[in-house]
Amino acid sequence: MGETPEVKKAKRPLPKSRVMLNALVDSIYQAAWDAEAKGEPVGWSTSIFPQELCATFDIPVLYPENNAAGVAARHDSPRFIATSEGELGYSNDICSYARLSIGMAHQMACDPNYEPPAVQRMPRPTFLLCATNSCFELLKWYECLSRELDIPIFMQDCLFNYGDAKPAKHWVAYGRSQIEHNIKRMEEFFGKKFDWDKFLEIQKISVENARLFDECVMMNDRNPSPLNGFDLFNYMAPMVVARGRRETTEVLLQLKREIQEHIDNGTTTFGSAPQKFRVDWEGIACWPNLGYNLKSMKKYGVNCVTNGYVGAWSLHYTPGSLDEMAEQYMLSSTNVVNTATMMGKRADVANHFQCDGMFCHINRSCKFMTYHMTCGREIVEEKCGIPVVFFDGDQADPTIFNEAQFETRLQSLVDVMETNKEAKQ
Amino acid sequence: MFAAGIDIGSTASKAVILDGDGQVKAKATVPIGTGTAGPERVFGQVMELAGIARDDVAWITATGYGRFSFEGINDQKSELSCHAKGISHLLPGTRTIIDIGGQDIKVMRIGDKGQLLNFVMNDKCAAGTGRFLDTMAKVLDVEVSALSGLSFQADEPAEISSTCTVFAESEVISKLAAKIRLENIAAGIHKSVARRVASLVQRVGIQPDVAMSGGVALNSGLVRSLEEEVRCHIRVHEDCQLAGALGAALFALHSMRNCESYTG
Repeated sequence: MGETPEVKKAKRPLPKSRVMLNALVDSIYQAAWDAEAKGEPVGWSTSIFPQELCATFDIPVLYPENNAAGVAARHDSPRFIATSEGELGYSNDICSYARLSIGMAHQMACDPNYEPPAVQRMPRPTFLLCATNSCFELLKWYECLSRELDIPIFMQDCLFNYGDAKPAKHWVAYGRSQIEHNIKRMEEFFGKKFDWDKFLEIQKISVENARLFDECVMMNDRNPSPLNGFDLFNYMAPMVVARGRRETTEVLLQLKREIQEHIDNGTTTFGSAPQKFRVDWEGIACWPNLGYNLKSMKKYGVNCVTNGYVGAWSLHYTPGSLDEMAEQYMLSSTNVVNTATMMGKRADVANHFQCDGMFCHINRSCKFMTYHMTCGREIVEEKCGIPVVFFDGDQADPTIFNEAQFETRLQSLVDVMETNKEAKQ
Repeated sequence: MFAAGIDIGSTASKAVILDGDGQVKAKATVPIGTGTAGPERVFGQVMELAGIARDDVAWITATGYGRFSFEGINDQKSELSCHAKGISHLLPGTRTIIDIGGQDIKVMRIGDKGQLLNFVMNDKCAAGTGRFLDTMAKVLDVEVSALSGLSFQADEPAEISSTCTVFAESEVISKLAAKIRLENIAAGIHKSVARRVASLVQRVGIQPDVAMSGGVALNSGLVRSLEEEVRCHIRVHEDCQLAGALGAALFALHSMRNCESYTG
């Protein structure tokens, strides 16, 4: 007798905003391939470089960090990481996005049988864009890519904000001078004049998209939250890869409508399970284990209603002001501010979203973000009176995460949150 | 009717049966854990000791890493909450618990009713865990239970500086090659574990009374090293290894009573 055939659960259709988002991302990859086919420039960029520049030049740019997240989520990262660690000799202590991307670049450049990822295949770039605002390792990573592929880098050096004050005037001038210098160098490299009127339009769209994205994030402060917090890891994609485009505005407007519908109808993408606990998930997603993380959290009625990381692409400045734009790029990521500032902000957000706890992804690949959490845990505990619990994982390297360790920590966090709720009652 | 708690750890299985009044009817330990015959065996043993059949057990709560895999349970609880509950029952007045398990270290802050208030656990590293002690005992060619007695005979504890289990293993081998006394190496191993655990204790903050839970607490040489590192007396109950199972049984008893009052 044959076995009972497995009954596959029908997948829920994607919401319209996700369909629009996927189409937008596909079109960005397609534009890069079209440019490659015509022998035109194609860029690879760190995730928070002033993308307004290449958007003005109408030059396609792809984002290895964003790409690595997708590759890791599809469980395809080990082969690229293996190339970096084995053939090229990079240490497994460095960022797994870097290991993945350098391994992919090397295979692309040197392996005639290179097999690209099944989706979101990146063409070989002809130039690189590197802003040092989100990680100290980016500079070396992009130097390695530059050597591997023998292509130039456009740099935007961003300074670490040790104090609590806004960046000093001369810091802003330093940032602005680099933007201006990059525009001149790009004019030479692309053989095109920079269109300042178009630049202003793209700045306006970028700022509008930042405002819309923030609104969507803040709508999740309702109880129950209309979104499962992990949704934001998906919806941050257009902010990373296309925040200066009208299509992103359309995606975010659609998302906002859908969130409002959920609020009006009392529904949520978290599903039918009750949202017993609201947590602030801190750190980058554990991409290879995202499904398991979500399933486990749902099992205990835990929804991550907010996340500090997804807001890194919300840059607010006055269109036309290069100074403000430069300043924003120097402040955008939580990795360019000190621990007291970063964790203080997170505590304020956790309070606003009425979180019962903070669940922190201790991510060996993102050491500085992890450092903030381990050193700043007391700030959150004192300001919010909520438990802060850590679990080990990695953003793209699946060898670090352990399901049983994750669930034990999650379940114990739930026990503490339950105790706190009972004490309040 | 009876309530049962079973703690299925990575290296041992423990079980406790409570009667309807909350008195311990039987307790048992089997030195093999999840993925082995240990859980079934310990449950069989504890029922035999209690002189009861499985049908006499109204509620079973499982805990430990194997808590999801034992058939016939009514519910499962995290081992942190079970250790908190169990130790609070065995040693009332405890506010901080240190539990060194087979593959992790837990430091817990608990309330007066044994409720879990806060905790920290080790990161992805076996340093300082029960597995670390097992590995070191193997290198010294002694039973892990012998480490305690050896360490009390030390006159000059060896310095084991590596926290990594693999590196510490090679460090111990080099100490053996250098003819350093086993007693001094055993004391050095305890000091190494104690330093690692003490740093986690500091993250939670010491609030007396401090107690140790789990089987490693039976190693009084290690407890002494830990007391030196955290500069505080550490209470240990003779049934410390059963604390998780006892906590699970207490949760089971609570559920059983709720269920009885509901149906009654």
